[in-house]
Amino acid sequence: MPDTAKIKRALADLDEDLALHLAKESLDAGVPALDILRACQEGMLEVGSRFECQEYFVSDLMMSGEIFKQISALLEPGLKTGAAQCSGKVVFGTVKGDIHDIGKDIVVNMLRSANLEVIDLGVDVAPERFVEALKQSGATILGMSGLLTLAFDSMRATIAALSAAGMRGEIKVMIGGGPVDGNVCKVVGADDWGADAQQAVRLAKNWLGVHA
Amino acid sequence: MPETQLQSRNKLDIWRQREARIRKALNYEPVDRIPVLFYGVAWAPLSQGLPLSHFCTDPEAGVEATLDALDSLPDVDGINQPTGGLISVGLTSLWLSRVEIPGRELPENTLWQVHEEETMKVEDYDIILNQGWEAFLAYIGAKVHKPDLLEKNNEWLRTKGPGLTQRYRERGYSILASMDTTIPFEALCGARSMQKFFFDCYRMPDKVKAALDIGQSFYTNLAISGTSMTDIKATWVGGWRAASALVSPKIWDKLVFPYYHDMLTKLHEHGILCVLHFDHNWDRDIKRFLEFPKGCVLALDGATDIRRAKDILGDHMVFLGDVPSSLFAAGTPDAVYKYVQELIRDLGPTGLIMNPGCDIPPNAPRANVEAFVTATHECGTYA
Repeated sequence: MPDTAKIKRALADLDEDLALHLAKESLDAGVPALDILRACQEGMLEVGSRFECQEYFVSDLMMSGEIFKQISALLEPGLKTGAAQCSGKVVFGTVKGDIHDIGKDIVVNMLRSANLEVIDLGVDVAPERFVEALKQSGATILGMSGLLTLAFDSMRATIAALSAAGMRGEIKVMIGGGPVDGNVCKVVGADDWGADAQQAVRLAKNWLGVHA
Repeated sequence: MPETQLQSRNKLDIWRQREARIRKALNYEPVDRIPVLFYGVAWAPLSQGLPLSHFCTDPEAGVEATLDALDSLPDVDGINQPTGGLISVGLTSLWLSRVEIPGRELPENTLWQVHEEETMKVEDYDIILNQGWEAFLAYIGAKVHKPDLLEKNNEWLRTKGPGLTQRYRERGYSILASMDTTIPFEALCGARSMQKFFFDCYRMPDKVKAALDIGQSFYTNLAISGTSMTDIKATWVGGWRAASALVSPKIWDKLVFPYYHDMLTKLHEHGILCVLHFDHNWDRDIKRFLEFPKGCVLALDGATDIRRAKDILGDHMVFLGDVPSSLFAAGTPDAVYKYVQELIRDLGPTGLIMNPGCDIPPNAPRANVEAFVTATHECGTYA
């Protein structure tokens, strides 16, 4: 039986060809898709650790996310019959007036690889769409991204829309993006902010009480 | 002498004084006052009531609004890089990406934005390798440029471009850099889209390197030929997605650093001052900047630790500091003032020019912009 620890290592080392080969080999040998997924999630945790100690940088996060995505696609048929239980739900998007998606996509990938279900609303998302998605999904976390300083107003407007819908108390709000900092977080009224994708994962897990 | 001529001569005298101040800062000589530069491409027209949709399609209105915005501020010495020509055409040329503009693809008075898409396919590397960089530019240019704006821009550059420097001088303002360029890494990153290009750097680094090698001389020569058309021998050299925080060290060492090093060395040999407009965080690799020719100007945006950079680089580079766009947009005048005050205390008084980090965002309150200038005057005057 193939050793899924090798998949974890290959993913953590960003060896795309090897990671994909091992994942296929494991599936063919009858390893449950869920076990392979867990190995990949452990590999992504290792990527996150290397990012935090500045061994890895943003391009490495992107590459690991790409490998994770490709393996997840291979595993999808097997996962539908398995019992992949997500740790929580997050609604995420780039706010109204901003069409930048690179930072958002990195965070969404990292959140998904941390076993969270992410409802990705895309870019230029109006406040009412965020509110609607939160209502429909039952998600308890909202993540907003923006690269422009003009995004600050949209973030504030979205948080005001949450309050107007009577949901502010139930939803934790995180923001991020190039110009976002602690002062911006305070000014727009978010609960917290992240300078990078790893901080977003940490925040979400803390709010959900997930410690793995 | 008629009053208009007298005013013009006075303005030229003011320009000479400001120019001398900036030259001293660039040479690490004592200054009477820390020079302060303006850079707010979208803020300027908005502050003068010019809608961004108009600014994006009328180069002449853009220049006038920028000059008026300079006049409206309390005694700035000049501009980092002059507004001249259409912003979307300039950005498209450097990023090799479509730029969406207000009034067309975007609502009125929103900011122009680069459209992130895979314009260049992976097989298009072969165009560069087999036909050369200029053939590649023609191929991509046809996909990303808006023909009407490109034509309008070229016409403006032909008729008005040569007189641009003089117009700024006659209003009393110095220009730090007259040209802009970047390394081919940035251009391909725009053309391929950031994620796809980064994946290319992992999957086929040698092929990417071969393409960059072909593009390198184009971007170096762009600055050499551009600066030869004015008496301002200085160019903006951009870096945004090549920043250390974004790129793995093994990619940076192979596909980023050698190209900056080669370009800066050649431009230095041609007597061209390089203003490194380096957005994002470059902390990891600041020590390697010591390998660049002495005397370059480092323009940071608040994301790189400027004090640590100064400790490491000393007088190897001149610093443009670095008031963050988020502080301009979401801070208070007091907070901006304090930021400038502390920067002057820690980095001044020589080899420092005060400058917005990247540029002043369009939603910066005027009071914050005025605080930036006033703080420089009040905290950075020595004579």
